[in-house]
Amino acid sequence: MSINRFTSSPLPALLKKASFSYRGAYLHQTNVFTQNKGAASDSPELLAKSSHLNSKPLDISKKAPVKTAQNKIPLAHSKYESSKYELPKWKEALGELVIRTFRLDMDRVRAGPVAGSYYYKICKEQGLQYEDEPLSETAKYFYEDLKLPRTFSQWFQITILHEWMLFVRMRAMPFKYGRNYQQKLVDRTFSDIELRLFEEMKVNSGRIADQYLKDFNTQLRGAIFAYDEGFATDDATLATAVWRNLFGGRKNIDMLHLESVMRYIHSQLYVLSRLSDREFSTGKFKFVPPGVKVEKLTPKQEEELKAKTVAKYKALDKDPRTLPSERSKLSYTN
Amino acid sequence: MSSSQAVKDTAKKLVNLLEKCPKDRIPHLVSFKDVQMARFRRVAGLPNVDDKGKSIKERKPSLDEIKSIINRTSGPLGLSKEMLAKIQNKVVDEKFTEESINEQVRALSTIMSNKFRNYYDVGDKLYKPAGNPYYYQRLIDAVDGKKKENFFTAMRTVIFGK
Repeated sequence: MSINRFTSSPLPALLKKASFSYRGAYLHQTNVFTQNKGAASDSPELLAKSSHLNSKPLDISKKAPVKTAQNKIPLAHSKYESSKYELPKWKEALGELVIRTFRLDMDRVRAGPVAGSYYYKICKEQGLQYEDEPLSETAKYFYEDLKLPRTFSQWFQITILHEWMLFVRMRAMPFKYGRNYQQKLVDRTFSDIELRLFEEMKVNSGRIADQYLKDFNTQLRGAIFAYDEGFATDDATLATAVWRNLFGGRKNIDMLHLESVMRYIHSQLYVLSRLSDREFSTGKFKFVPPGVKVEKLTPKQEEELKAKTVAKYKALDKDPRTLPSERSKLSYTN
Repeated sequence: MSSSQAVKDTAKKLVNLLEKCPKDRIPHLVSFKDVQMARFRRVAGLPNVDDKGKSIKERKPSLDEIKSIINRTSGPLGLSKEMLAKIQNKVVDEKFTEESINEQVRALSTIMSNKFRNYYDVGDKLYKPAGNPYYYQRLIDAVDGKKKENFFTAMRTVIFGK
């Protein structure tokens, strides 16, 4: 089994390999902010923490906390998404045979497991919180440092901010594939929200759940439009969009928090822009945690990174042992 | 100069900075510029003005009005005490120190100067995405009203997706 086999069995292997390291674009492990704590504007998290305003979260009495349901919806809905699951060998072989005989377009097929499952998972994790569970590191940034209310709809706003960043990258893929990736991500978002509304938020009526879903859909469209507008124009517009959506238009906003989110967004987009289509479409991206500063690549490092990627995928494409399911026509040079 | 005067002066700077903020291209329920202008004008001790430059007086309800509100229902306007407390919490009088308001000015000017956008430049790869190169251009043109979609371009988008 070659090391690069991560798309052969649909998901389990993919999820394992996806926890990769960034190599160049992620040269953040420099000690800049550990050595130099005085310069507190290095990572988005430190930037937000450095504020002296001491603003309070808007919604102090949590009206609808997200309770841990007994049957909590796991990140993975089906057994195929579990990291422990391994496809039986005969199924794998049959799958490869089918792909080879019918010449299936793997770039299209891969949209489900990569965008629908893996990319949705990383978007969902960022703001995921339950009332009686400790917050994860990234969730701490959103709920404690940025002082957002711990509610379900706030989680949704955090999730769509991350999804939008992926959308921006997906638009740069060939149209046919990028569009499909976007579709899969949105489909999965709403099917997951529907489940969570019933199981975790204890909505009993289908009609009410539908109303919520429609509302979330409107929010999604509005937010994506506003972020796109901000992305295409200037930071002031983007910050306004963030204020309206992520911060719910609160009056006593701390400008430092806005600045911190701007830094967060732009550093993620920077990492996304340095990935080739091939890497991005096979799920080789994860969000940089807010406590980490993204260092910019020097032109030399960028070249090295490119050469390395090209060499890797050239070898993979040439290798006759590469399975049909691992093949892809997407470019690795851009 | 006393520190409260310094805070007021810095708040004035902040208001000037906010004035340079671009106006919303399409009207939203709330406008960042207007809301924040009103907020910091209060801190700076400036009167709030409407579109025509006339100052708006913050009119407080008279005693009679308060009485009538309270007498109308058991809880004023049917609101529970909890809700009232919440409303009071929302309109907090903010206390800025020199340090915190200076931070606000610095943060806002960082945003306005596009510092992070320029530092983390993503280039044409994302601004003119290969799959849909005119996506952002069309979006901005439509919002600015420069170029209107006609029936045929709209149908093209519906059928081909771009």
